[in-house]
Amino acid sequence: MSLGRRAFLGGALAAGAASAGHGCTDAPRWERSAVRQPSRSRVAILPAAAYDGGLVEVVLRGLRLFELPLAGKRIVLKPNFVEHDPKGVVNTHPALVAAAIEAFRRAGARQVVVAEGPGHYRDTEHLLTATGLHAVLREHRTRYVDLNNDDVRALRVGSHYTGLGHLYLPETLLEADLLVSMPKLKTHHWAGVTLSLKNMFGCIPGAVYGWPKNVLHWAGIHQSIVDINSTLPVPRFAIVDGIVGMEGNGPIQGDARRCGALVFGDDPVAVDATAARLMTIDPRQIRYLAQAGRFLGNVAEERIDQAGEPIDRLRQDFRVLPMFRALKSFA
Amino acid sequence: MTRSGQEQLVASQNRDGGWGAQQGRASSTEVTALATLALGRLDTPASRASATRGLRWLAARQHDDGAWPVSARVDHASWATALAVLALDGLGREPVHAVRGARWLVRRTPRTLGVAVSLLHRYAPGTLAVRLNPDLKGWAWTADAASFVEPTCYALLALKRVRRHLPGAAVTGRIDEAERMVYDRMCRDGGWNYGNSTVLEAELWPYADVTALALLALAEHREREANQQSLRALRGMLHEVDSGLSLAWATLCFAAYGQDLTPWRARLVERYARTAFLGETKAVALALLALSGGAEVLRA
Repeated sequence: MSLGRRAFLGGALAAGAASAGHGCTDAPRWERSAVRQPSRSRVAILPAAAYDGGLVEVVLRGLRLFELPLAGKRIVLKPNFVEHDPKGVVNTHPALVAAAIEAFRRAGARQVVVAEGPGHYRDTEHLLTATGLHAVLREHRTRYVDLNNDDVRALRVGSHYTGLGHLYLPETLLEADLLVSMPKLKTHHWAGVTLSLKNMFGCIPGAVYGWPKNVLHWAGIHQSIVDINSTLPVPRFAIVDGIVGMEGNGPIQGDARRCGALVFGDDPVAVDATAARLMTIDPRQIRYLAQAGRFLGNVAEERIDQAGEPIDRLRQDFRVLPMFRALKSFA
Repeated sequence: MTRSGQEQLVASQNRDGGWGAQQGRASSTEVTALATLALGRLDTPASRASATRGLRWLAARQHDDGAWPVSARVDHASWATALAVLALDGLGREPVHAVRGARWLVRRTPRTLGVAVSLLHRYAPGTLAVRLNPDLKGWAWTADAASFVEPTCYALLALKRVRRHLPGAAVTGRIDEAERMVYDRMCRDGGWNYGNSTVLEAELWPYADVTALALLALAEHREREANQQSLRALRGMLHEVDSGLSLAWATLCFAAYGQDLTPWRARLVERYARTAFLGETKAVALALLALSGGAEVLRA
């Protein structure tokens, strides 16, 4: 039997994942207050060849393109730190986190906090120290918040794909003036791709939902991604670490793939759609992106103004698992 | 570190008598149970007074059905019930509360993966993306979720401690099945990942903290090859992992397996001096337990 068949069954098994009855259907399933789709979106792709030297300037350039009101603001950076694999490229590179801390400070931010709620690891001390993030935080005198164990508040869900009436979300995020999702450019063995929207799974507190936030897997990964993102009530920005991404069996056991790009934007749906195109993956085929593109942001290429480098100059043909071949159909 | 760790725990206790994951965070059952257990075993007036307040927090938060909530802010019945049971039983206090909590654990069943998956596992296991026996039930993190290794191990430790108060085949049956579930999830070369051993034909790697916890929960079977293999795997992992949480669980585990604790205790103390475990209350509590012979309160 093919891996594709296995994947279907795997969705029901891995980490208790299963597609819930609340599918992604055509009827609108969102509150009016959750609609955030602009008429047009802007995304920037900036080249960045390596993690050493000059990254702060690249990030600053990306921020300036969006003229964000950062002076005096409280910024929460949410990188993607999943596991420590010394040979792998699982996590957002700590050097990019360092550059973002510095860039937001130079841009006038009053406070920059780094926050993450790893989906698997409960040993935060090991994850932070082994990956090098702790050294970055210390060097830049930056506070880290473990979102798995933060104080929480229950919020009504902005859309109704999972059937969950409310979500507990960390206070640290709810108090932010700007939440910056900083995912790694990766393929994902259940969701297709994991980018700035999927990265918000790490905002869900493990102390309430378990590791790996298993209830949400039962409610459906795609559905949960949409509901989490429709519920977060704070302004958002995204910086995708595509300097070196991951292809194949992501988000943990895939292979490194150099892309040499950072993707910026204030519409996380448009950022993810563009980042998917950068991987030569059709974002319209990603179920959660297709749904998010109906009310949270723009997926359609003709509604995204792209700044920086032309996508064709940096596009890489990321390998996907056989069950995701359809995502490459437009290529 | 016993003295400074104790001082840190006492100082980080919330006004309501509980502890949060870090100083200043809302009290949670998990951290309060572990901090109470750690301080309650230390023989100083400050630690005893602090533990008494922790016990009061636990006794006051228990639901009528026996479960404990996630935290002061999230009232859902929680996986941390097992830790509250362990704390109360380990300190020999509030036995009625402990037994009520244990009964809730016995009643609490995880979500199953369904008949279709069960049949496939039996007749066409190669079609499944994840290698596990879907018929074996342990405990889940939350209601409406599947069994996972860590909450199952906490429940096993708690039920084994209080089973003298819970006669009956139901308890024995749940323990036996949960033990089989934990063995079923073991990684190929020993040890445990947080979830499964294999996904999409790729072997997952074990985690030190989960492995130590699983070995503790299965300590009655210490002579089994699976236990010995995992014990070796744990030692290997600790060449790389040097955190307070993992070292504390490992030290408790090695104590239960009759190993020499001297080097592990030394590493714990040295690590605490360097990082203070990044202020994680739970790691400090577990380290105090590990340094004060606390493995005995986790033993069946």
